Amino acid sequence: MSARNHAEWIAPPKLAEGEWVDSRIYSDQAIFDEEIDKIFKKAWIPVCHESELKNAYDFRTMTIANEPVIVARGKDMQVRAFLNVCPHRGNMIERRPSGNFAAGTPSGTPKRMTCMFHAWQFDMKGKCVYISRQEEGYQDRLKKEDVGLRELKCEVYFGGFVWVCLDDDIDMTVEDWAAGALDCLAPSLNEEPLEVFHYHKAIIPCNFKLWHDTNCEFYHDFLHYHNRVTGFNDAYFARKNSGFKNGHINVGSFEVQYDNYEGFHSREELSFPHLPPNHWYMIDMFPGVNFNLRGSALRCDLMTPLGPDKVMIEFRGLGLASDTAEERQTRIDHHNSIWGPFGRNLHEDLLAVTAQGSCMNPSAERRNILQGRHENETIHDENGMRHYYHEWGRWLNRSPSNPDHEYDESLMAEALNQPEAQQASA
Amino acid sequence: MAANGADTTERIKEVIYKTCIHQDDMNWNAWLDLCDDDYKYMIRAYSPEIQADMTYLGGSREHMQSLTEMLPKHNTDNSPLKRHCTVYSVDVSEDGKSASAVSSFVVYQTMLDGINSHVDAGESRLFLVGRYNDKFSIDGDSVKFTEREVRLDTRRLDKGSHWPI
Repeated sequence: MSARNHAEWIAPPKLAEGEWVDSRIYSDQAIFDEEIDKIFKKAWIPVCHESELKNAYDFRTMTIANEPVIVARGKDMQVRAFLNVCPHRGNMIERRPSGNFAAGTPSGTPKRMTCMFHAWQFDMKGKCVYISRQEEGYQDRLKKEDVGLRELKCEVYFGGFVWVCLDDDIDMTVEDWAAGALDCLAPSLNEEPLEVFHYHKAIIPCNFKLWHDTNCEFYHDFLHYHNRVTGFNDAYFARKNSGFKNGHINVGSFEVQYDNYEGFHSREELSFPHLPPNHWYMIDMFPGVNFNLRGSALRCDLMTPLGPDKVMIEFRGLGLASDTAEERQTRIDHHNSIWGPFGRNLHEDLLAVTAQGSCMNPSAERRNILQGRHENETIHDENGMRHYYHEWGRWLNRSPSNPDHEYDESLMAEALNQPEAQQASA
Repeated sequence: MAANGADTTERIKEVIYKTCIHQDDMNWNAWLDLCDDDYKYMIRAYSPEIQADMTYLGGSREHMQSLTEMLPKHNTDNSPLKRHCTVYSVDVSEDGKSASAVSSFVVYQTMLDGINSHVDAGESRLFLVGRYNDKFSIDGDSVKFTEREVRLDTRRLDKGSHWPI
């Protein structure tokens, strides 16, 4: 048989359950809405880096699961997170992407978060400190202490990333949530303070999981000329994909041969602490976060789903806060020559997922998307994606291969490599 | 301005506009022929998110040469880019040996293969907005770029590009 007819095309592939997914998980509005409610409102999300909030009264704004969020550093230098929503009329309190509250605003006084709409003011701990014409309007029926901001769970962890969770009832710290997935990079990132030097965003017409899949599988290195010529040796093919509890994975390191790409050079001189020269680790965290350390520069991707067929990806690049100007510029060049918006690899990755998205629009017929490669959990094994969808199935109680059915973990045994299955259910 | 100064200003404008045509045509060698051996190219932007100046792409003439020569080996969005540029100011040094210029530009992308070509091909979209901050060396009738800073306003860059702007 060569090309297939319709019935053959839509028939389940000759692979085990869990070795393919139904493309509706990338396009269905109801599934997307469930993902927002059941996953993104429950998970720890690294919304920014502490170097974006260096000084007291600095703030950053962002969105988690369609909710506006503000992160601010108090006078006590503690970083706190709140819903960026005024408790009065539901207006967004701070509209800028970043700034500092030490200066006043047209409607407010210095050192306060002020809602411009009716001039209600809040301190850096979220306490309401001013209601305009309070007594005239509310008499003694409503007081400032009744209308504080909604504070969110917030931790600074793993090289200074600021993690926020919308769920007050989450019963784990970020360390618990990471479940060891971050350990491979922790010595390199925790040795000395880091600093963000790059930020840009992309809004791509595809489901957020397609970007996460691409970060989880290296089989797509055939897309990248750069990776083929600087990798694709015995050490590359021996890199291990390891699954961790809560759906996280990481990809083991090897030494990249940067000199094999014309115009590129070794990054040895600026290796992150404790990282062997030119090594490259990757961590993918459930549900849509990626940490990627290539020798001299750290990249972090944060996915914010905007719809079943739309995702915003924020790309950050980080170096050491102690960098000299010359070192910093070199790190920036290293980062952006591959991962910048005009770099060699990022454009190719984004092009590929855009093309995937074009084939998985909400009205498209369902397709079988394969993730069935087994190569002893090495670099081109697709166990990383299978591990992710194992977790996804449990959170939504939907089978990734047939999302109309409840998730049945027992059907996944063959798809999941045994050691990873044991780790995941530990 | 003296007649010679006016001539120099016109020559500099001509070089800037020729660069746009060469880059639109992806005639990268013709672009680099207009650049000095010590040429420095940068795409930069200020991020209000991280409150920092960023360099999205940077390189010497040699680096840009190798980067453009490697393009055929890469998968890329082949949707053509078209630069619309207006030179706002040209300042020639007193000794007439160097100059700087500021130009405003927009870049349009006419879709070819970046998404679903059946639906999107032929549609022109605004791709980038920014300024060129250029520096030149002048030697007689010869005007060469010594530096170009592509200063972008646009920071939501979606798929980005492999091509110099």
